[in-house]
Amino acid sequence: MNSIEEQLWNYIDGSCTPAEQQAITALIAQDEAYRIKYNELLKLNQEFSTMEMDEPSMAFTYNVMETIRTANALKPLKAAINKRIIWGIAAFFIITIAILVIFALSTLNWSMPSGNGRFDVNIKMPEQLDSNHVKSFFSGGVLKGFLFFDLVMGLFLLDAYLRRKQNAKQH
Amino acid sequence: MQNKLSDIELIEQTLAGNQSAYADLVKRHQRFVFTLAMRFAKGREDAEEIAQDCFIKAYRSLSSFQQQSKFSTWLYSIVYTTAMTFLRKKRIDTSSIDDDESYIQIEHKPSAYDINNIENKSRSFYLNQAIAQLLPDDATIITLFYKGEQSLEEIAQALGMEANTVKVKLFRARQRLKERLERNLKHEVKELI
Repeated sequence: MNSIEEQLWNYIDGSCTPAEQQAITALIAQDEAYRIKYNELLKLNQEFSTMEMDEPSMAFTYNVMETIRTANALKPLKAAINKRIIWGIAAFFIITIAILVIFALSTLNWSMPSGNGRFDVNIKMPEQLDSNHVKSFFSGGVLKGFLFFDLVMGLFLLDAYLRRKQNAKQH
Repeated sequence: MQNKLSDIELIEQTLAGNQSAYADLVKRHQRFVFTLAMRFAKGREDAEEIAQDCFIKAYRSLSSFQQQSKFSTWLYSIVYTTAMTFLRKKRIDTSSIDDDESYIQIEHKPSAYDINNIENKSRSFYLNQAIAQLLPDDATIITLFYKGEQSLEEIAQALGMEANTVKVKLFRARQRLKERLERNLKHEVKELI
């Protein structure tokens, strides 16, 4: 059973059933104590609705929009770089593999063996891939240049990683 | 004369890439969101931080707003969860309202200026003072009900509670506010005598 005050608040808010509403209306009309309490709560209800709202600083909207703008400016750039790198690496590997496969297939000797039941795969190494020729690629200036490039790339990626980590800590 | 755009129209424009539409939305709701944040933070700086965080979160998840409720109801649910997280982080004391020692006691020594002007102090000053002394939950429900143009069902949705629970909480919050208001006014009268 609700208290008188609770019933009256529900009546003022209009959150009671029609039957309850009718009963409370009758009680207010007949019962002096009900009427006094009702008027008191009604006055309080009006007073509560006069509460003042707080005002944020003048730069509030500007600050919100600036934060959003900064976040938006960073996001697409990051996404674009990431996608390009990923697609670039993928394209490089796909093209390399495709060239190797085509090259290998074109050098295969597809003729069947003559009667001894053995299937000889006669793959001729192209002259360009002669072992001595290949060795020359991995010696001297080319190798040093390759290692230097790797070192620079490694340092660049490490720097980017540390910067990202530091930024994440600050936010 | 330009017609005032509705919240939904402003959201649609924002989603289409018009950021100034979102700035209008922020301007429209910032006062209420800040007031709600003040109910939790009790300090302007922290309240601004909460309120800004709410608008940024709302912007990021604007595309997920289903438009099944009012934008304000959805926004207030963000305010509530953000403020609760803030409270947990800051470990602000949220002890019971019945514990008299836990109230924020505002030092008030009447000066000549006060005495001359005390009659000019409106009831709303005491009302806001009493609201500031309530628990964050009580103050939030009262603010949402009286200033947020929210029904009991909408408040329930924003706070993630049952409508009946909100009804009971609103009743108790009103009782506590009434008690605080009466106590503050009595205190003021005694000071004058």
